[in-house]
Amino acid sequence: MESLIHISGLTIGYNKCTVVKNMTTSFNSGELICIIGRNGEGKSTLIKTLCRLIPPISGSISVKNNDLFKLADKDFANLISVVLTSKITITNISVKEFVAFGRYPYTNWLGKLTEEDEIQVETAVEMCGINSLTNRDFSSLSDGEKQKVNIARAIAQNTPIIILDEPTAHLDLVNNMEIFKLLKVLANDYNKTIIFSTHYIELALQLADKICLVNNESCHCDTPKNTVDSKKIDQLFDKKTVKYNAVNNSFEFIF
Amino acid sequence: MFSLLISLVILFLLDLFLGSVQIPFHSILNILTNTVNEKESWQIIILNNRLPKALAAILCGAALSVSGLQMQTLFRNPLAGPYILGISAGAGLGVAIFIMGLSMFGISANSLSFFGSYGIVISSFIGSLLVLLILLASIYRLKDMMTVLILGIMLGSITTAFISIIQYFSYDSQLKSFIMWTMGNLNSISNTQLLVISPFLILGLVWSFLISKQLNLYLLGEDYAKTLGLNVKNFQLTVVVITALLTGLVTAYCGPIGFIGIIVPHLSRMLSKTSNHKILIPLSILIGINVLLFADIISILPNSDTILPINAITSFIGIPIIIWIIFKNKRITNVG
Repeated sequence: MESLIHISGLTIGYNKCTVVKNMTTSFNSGELICIIGRNGEGKSTLIKTLCRLIPPISGSISVKNNDLFKLADKDFANLISVVLTSKITITNISVKEFVAFGRYPYTNWLGKLTEEDEIQVETAVEMCGINSLTNRDFSSLSDGEKQKVNIARAIAQNTPIIILDEPTAHLDLVNNMEIFKLLKVLANDYNKTIIFSTHYIELALQLADKICLVNNESCHCDTPKNTVDSKKIDQLFDKKTVKYNAVNNSFEFIF
Repeated sequence: MFSLLISLVILFLLDLFLGSVQIPFHSILNILTNTVNEKESWQIIILNNRLPKALAAILCGAALSVSGLQMQTLFRNPLAGPYILGISAGAGLGVAIFIMGLSMFGISANSLSFFGSYGIVISSFIGSLLVLLILLASIYRLKDMMTVLILGIMLGSITTAFISIIQYFSYDSQLKSFIMWTMGNLNSISNTQLLVISPFLILGLVWSFLISKQLNLYLLGEDYAKTLGLNVKNFQLTVVVITALLTGLVTAYCGPIGFIGIIVPHLSRMLSKTSNHKILIPLSILIGINVLLFADIISILPNSDTILPINAITSFIGIPIIIWIIFKNKRITNVG
């Protein structure tokens, strides 16, 4: 099968300061891909490069055989929707209006929603379980609610690929698992390619179809099983504090 | 929205009605509709003085409010206004050089007959255009809009420094005419000048409305706007060009009129409880017109010969409103 996203020889970073070197991999439709790694190893840089918010130092990313960085703005918005960590400070806007921002690439110059747009917004709201929030003001929501609404916005954009940067940071365990489950459903049932970064390695290992482990200037992408078997996970930690228990899929203290 | 339209008409007529010469209301209507021949002096007062002034108030109120709204959205800053980018300071420098600076080089402004009437306008427009060009170049070079904002403020400061040097070395009479310009004046605009600038101002206002969808999206932040298919650089340039067009023209003809551009967007957000520019832009236009007409009515001081500087009035109206907003909301950072 032709892969949806193909990354070859990708070197990324800021201002000549390289973060990840020479990464090559490909992602398929319907795959849930987790990017894991320590703070500052380049997860966010990788995500931002995939969202083409920062240009790569070298190498290429192609989506549906098109160079990602040569796509027109509108075509990009039809292929990839994005949920970032940057705080959204918009006020005086209802949750429903916020979700409808996802329809921006499809609406006319006035931003008028067609029947099709309304249906997409409705579906996204259903999927994220935020029906009860639709008339609330976005700025009055809690962090977890805001995150779900923002994901609903990305779903309403109705793209084959959704990229999320730490979608569950600052959230409690229940919210966290709800969102992970939602992402899994989106990949499995709706055949979307979901790429997201997270610090919840145990959950990522349980759910993901592919793990991208960012460490020591390299990014290693493989199935969760191979990633565990090859002891790659262990390389993430210094051997004095944390130990990964592959049998229980859990982390243990070393005293 | 409808009541604002009605109050606009009432204020407009009041603005025509009030002044140092008492003209009966029915005569004003007759002059406007051109049905019955009224006293010629009255016709001149209404058609050549009060009508252009009221129309100027309408155009300036609308233009300043909309450019203020766009600046607040562009910089996500509640205290941004049409002059935040140093456009008025640039215009000020142009005018200062024209009124005061030329004589330093031994050229008398009065001797240039063509410049006599259009000199201030042209020099002010050149001044704001120069600031605009520096800003456009910097938007291309700099990544962050906040840096552009700081650059705009710095440009404004250095321009003001130049102006004060020129002021220091200039004669009393020139100093006075420059100070008069900085106080704002809706009176100096003639009917022909109105005909010249109104198409441009209307173009700017319509253009702003046409990009309201982009303005809405920009509230999500630059990164989200990019990923949702907005060409952010082009958009930022467009907004700056529209603002410079609106503010530059108004400042050129009427001087820098303060506070309208800062308070009106807040008032329209508070009234409509929305961040949707499709609503905020028309609403800001209506409120802006109302506020400036109101300010103009106060400035004429009914039944007296004195006209107060319009800038003093807009500050008297504007500052209490800003303070009231601060106390009511505890914060005015809800720009979006």
